Amino acid sequence: MRLLSGDARRAVFAPLDDGALRSEAVVRRVGSAIALGLLADGEQLPTESDLATMLKVSTVTLREALAELRKLGLVETRRGRGGGSFVRSRDDVLSELADARLAELGTTDLRELGDVHSAAAAAAARLAASRASRTEIARLRDIVDRLASAGSVTGQRRTDGRYYIELAACAQSVRLTMQEMDLHLELGQLPWPPAHAPGLLDVIVAGHRAVIDAIEDRDAARARALTEAHIETRTLWAIELRLQRLGGAGSAAVHREVS
Amino acid sequence: MSRSDAAEVARVAAAVSDLVEQVFVTVARVHEATLRSVEREGLRAGRWVLPDGVQELLRAPGQLAVGLGLVVAPRPEEGLPLRLEWWQVDPDGGKLHTLEPDLRPTSLGYYDYTVAEWYDVPRRTGRRHAFGPHVDVHGTGRYVLTLTEPVVAGSGFVGVAGADVPVRRFETHLLRALGRLSTPFVLLNDEGRVVLSTAPRFLVGSLLPADAGLPEQGTPVPGVPWRLLLVRDGRLLAG
Repeated sequence: MRLLSGDARRAVFAPLDDGALRSEAVVRRVGSAIALGLLADGEQLPTESDLATMLKVSTVTLREALAELRKLGLVETRRGRGGGSFVRSRDDVLSELADARLAELGTTDLRELGDVHSAAAAAAARLAASRASRTEIARLRDIVDRLASAGSVTGQRRTDGRYYIELAACAQSVRLTMQEMDLHLELGQLPWPPAHAPGLLDVIVAGHRAVIDAIEDRDAARARALTEAHIETRTLWAIELRLQRLGGAGSAAVHREVS
Repeated sequence: MSRSDAAEVARVAAAVSDLVEQVFVTVARVHEATLRSVEREGLRAGRWVLPDGVQELLRAPGQLAVGLGLVVAPRPEEGLPLRLEWWQVDPDGGKLHTLEPDLRPTSLGYYDYTVAEWYDVPRRTGRRHAFGPHVDVHGTGRYVLTLTEPVVAGSGFVGVAGADVPVRRFETHLLRALGRLSTPFVLLNDEGRVVLSTAPRFLVGSLLPADAGLPEQGTPVPGVPWRLLLVRDGRLLAG
C-alpha cells in the first residue's frame, strides 16, 4: 500500500464521525476525494482491511460502501494478481452524487457548514494580513489567476480549495490548514456553484482578489470582513440551489426523504 | 548597546549558530551520499539516488531533524520527473518512513516543490538556505524550518539535500542550551518573520510590523540569513 503524505491525504483517510449511515459516509468521502483530485483516476485504494482501519468502520460497512462505489462506477475491482480496487474519476457521476447530497441536506446544514468555513477562513485571512510574506502573497495571486483560467469544473473546484488551504498556511497555522482540508472534503461533496451558473466564477475570483489586496495592504480587518462576506454569499448560493430543487427535478428525492 | 547586552547577543547568536550547524552536518552527509551515488551510477528514472542507510542519520543521538533527504531536480528531457527521496520520523512513534507527496498537478494536494523557496533559493544562488518557519502543507503537514543546500555533480544541478526541523524542537533545544536569559530576544529570518522569541509580544511566525522599527538592524547569525535583536520594555533594541 502506498499512502501519500500531506494534510489533504491524511484528511481523506481520517476516521469518519458524522453520525450518518456509515457506508454512505464512506461513499461521500471517497467521492469528494475524487472530485478534489486527492484520489486520482486509476489509483489503487488501500486494501479493504487497511481502509476499514483508517476510516474506523467495520469491514462489513466498508464492503457495502465499495459495492455502492462500484455500482456508481467510481471504483473498479480487479481480481487476481495485481488486482484490487481502483479509482475511476467520472465527472457525470460526481455531479449526480453532489446533487443527491444537496437534496439530503437541510438549509440549516448548509448554513452551519458556511458558518464554520467562514470562521476558519476569516481567521486565516485576518492572520495572513500580518503574517503572509511577499512570496506567499504572490503565490495566492498565482492560485487565483489559475482559478480564473481553469477550464473544467473539477479544475475550478480544486483550485478554489487550494486558495483556502494556502490562505491558512499563510496564517502560519497548521491547525487552521488542517481544518480547511477537512472542510473542503465536506464542501467537495456539494455542487460547485459555477457548474450551474458559470458567471459565478467571476464573483469568486473577484472575491478572492479583493481579500489578497487587503492582505497586501496589511489591512487585517478588511481581509477578514471580505472573507466573511464572500463565504456568506456562497452559503446563500447553496441554499438557493437547494430550495430551487424543491420545486424542480429533484423533488422526487425530497418527497422520499420527508415521507 | 551596553557591554552586557553585547555579550548576551553574542552568546545567543553562537548558540543558534551551533544548532544550525549541527543540522547542516546532517545535510552534508546526505549531500556526500548523493554525490557518491551519482558519480558511481549517474541519474536514472525510477532509481533512488540515496543509498539505503542514509535514513539512519535520523536516529543519531541528539538529532534535531525529523526529516531528511534529497529533492531531485526534474529533467523532463531525460525522462526524470519530480521526485523526492525523503525520509521522516513518524510523529506518533520512532518509525521511519518515506514521504510520498502528491506530485500530480491536477490534485488539490499537489506538492509543487520547484517553486518552494527551500528548493528555489539554493538552485538559483548555489548556496545553502534556511527557510521557515513555514507550514509544510502538502508535504509533512508540520510547522518546520527547512535547511537545504544545492547538490551539483559533473552533469549539473542534481537537486537539493536538506533536513526538516520542527519549530518546537528547535525552540526547546535552543532554550535548554541557553539556560537563564538576562534579556529577552527575537530571532528574525530574511523575510522579517519571527523564527524564535522569548518576548511573548513577538509571536513565532509573525512578521515584524513595520512600526516596530529597526527592521534592517540586528546582529547577523553566522551561517544563516537570520538576525538577532534584544527586547527591552516590549521594544526591539538595535543590535
